[in-house]
Amino acid sequence: MIEARALTKRYGDKVAVDELSFTVRPGQVTGFLGPNGAGKSTTMRMIVGLDRPTAGTVTVSGRPYREHAAPLRQVGALLEAKAVHRGRTAHSHLLALAQTHGIAARRVDEVLGLAGLSDVAGKRVGGFSLGMGQRLGIAVALLGDPATVMLDEPVNGLDPDGVVWVRNLLKGLAAEGRTVLVSSHLMSEMAVTAEHLVIIGRGRLLADTTVDELIARVAVGSVLVRSPRAADLRDLLVAHGAAVTATDSDAVQVVGLTAEKIGDLALDGGLPLYELTPRRASLEEAYMELTREAVEYR
Amino acid sequence: MITFRHVLRSEWTKLVSLRSTWATLGTVAVLTVGLAGAIGYGVSRSDPPANAGEAVGAAFLPLDFFVLVIGVLGVLQMTGEYGSGLIRATLTAVPRRLPVLAAKALALAALTFPVMLVVCPAAFLVCQAFIGEGGASLGDPGVPGAILGAAACPVLVGLLGLGVGALVRHTAGAVTALAAALLVIPALLTPVLPGDWDERVMKFVPTIAGQAMYAVGGDNTPFETLAPAASAAVLVAWVLVALAGGAALLARRDA
Repeated sequence: MIEARALTKRYGDKVAVDELSFTVRPGQVTGFLGPNGAGKSTTMRMIVGLDRPTAGTVTVSGRPYREHAAPLRQVGALLEAKAVHRGRTAHSHLLALAQTHGIAARRVDEVLGLAGLSDVAGKRVGGFSLGMGQRLGIAVALLGDPATVMLDEPVNGLDPDGVVWVRNLLKGLAAEGRTVLVSSHLMSEMAVTAEHLVIIGRGRLLADTTVDELIARVAVGSVLVRSPRAADLRDLLVAHGAAVTATDSDAVQVVGLTAEKIGDLALDGGLPLYELTPRRASLEEAYMELTREAVEYR
Repeated sequence: MITFRHVLRSEWTKLVSLRSTWATLGTVAVLTVGLAGAIGYGVSRSDPPANAGEAVGAAFLPLDFFVLVIGVLGVLQMTGEYGSGLIRATLTAVPRRLPVLAAKALALAALTFPVMLVVCPAAFLVCQAFIGEGGASLGDPGVPGAILGAAACPVLVGLLGLGVGALVRHTAGAVTALAAALLVIPALLTPVLPGDWDERVMKFVPTIAGQAMYAVGGDNTPFETLAPAASAAVLVAWVLVALAGGAALLARRDA
């Protein structure tokens, strides 16, 4: 469980995180979304005490991260790929971090196996690809068998196998009752991985909701209708207040009427329908709609 | 569970798992002993023959430079983590932070002091063997103390480097700062200070105090120096200032 209360971080007169309050609950994957520069990484750094909040608090399992006797058992974090000295082997890197908590060397071999790095455990990290660096970072996050796992852009640089591996890993961790917070820019990946979403823009909370709720609330669904008399159908639907765009000579995209209503209207008007497909908006569309005003280029 | 022993073991692992650590120590060991022999050979052919103080000084002349190399090793222990981003993983594992710096200091001392305790007597013996007649021997007055001082001085300079690394965080800047503190400032002080002030001030400069730790008979230095023990205390004070400053910033700054 991660609880942020009015969390604020200022750098000079620039506000990176602005009175942010949210709760990340155990047992589900929570996606942490927002445009570049929204304050995601700063927030994650404050959660593990790397950055000091200007105001507000954030706790992990009920108390500030640094007050835990064994913090790696509370939170496993991947904040940047390849945060490793290039001259050290993957095994030495993990061992040194494990030793701070008296974690057995056996666990180092375990997480190397979990991350699929057993074969390169003795190789120096300088020669690792970005994907291998990500796997090593995830191995670090799992080292303490933590109650909370927090990953910043974990699928960055991973091959399709790796992406599926991370997806299943995160779902598995959540199913074990752990708290999982993961940031990503890949909306398609978030849509299939996360159940809950915390979305921020310019350091402020935009949404703290489920994926389904967000799509239903923000994005407008549409219906694809195919008919040999598309032009007539279009006039009929527009007359009933729908927004209609032609996608093909015999197909239209309808917003503002349900599929049922369109079917009834077509029957009344004697227009044949060949296809009537309700289309749910994607998470990506909902996200773009929500963050349109919060996008900020620096 | 974080304990200081655990953090110390972690920092030891970090230090000994880098090839560069061993390359640095090996190079320092070989060159210190080798150059001591070469200098001893030169001294043996000098006229008039060297006095006891000069004979001891010849053995540790290479150290005047190699302390800087150990100092850079100390710098890199800190800045290497900032440069790679490892510091974020380290401070996430040990969020109270200060044990990390203390453990780094202890690990560095625990590694370099034994190495120097072998290198320095070896350099002394090799050098005296080349000097031959007129060379000092282990039993001569002040010699055991000078060897101990020669072994301790690089360790202290290494810790000074660690403190500077914690203060400056960037490798290039920290190495420059350390080199300036050890080489440039002493060279500039003499012309800058008015009258006989250099007599009073120079003995407190880290480099001069460090070299006085392994000198026998203070008449071979261009400046008035303190006794070896007092010089060691001066250098320790500089180390504590650098480490305290580094610790204060480590605790306060965002990582």
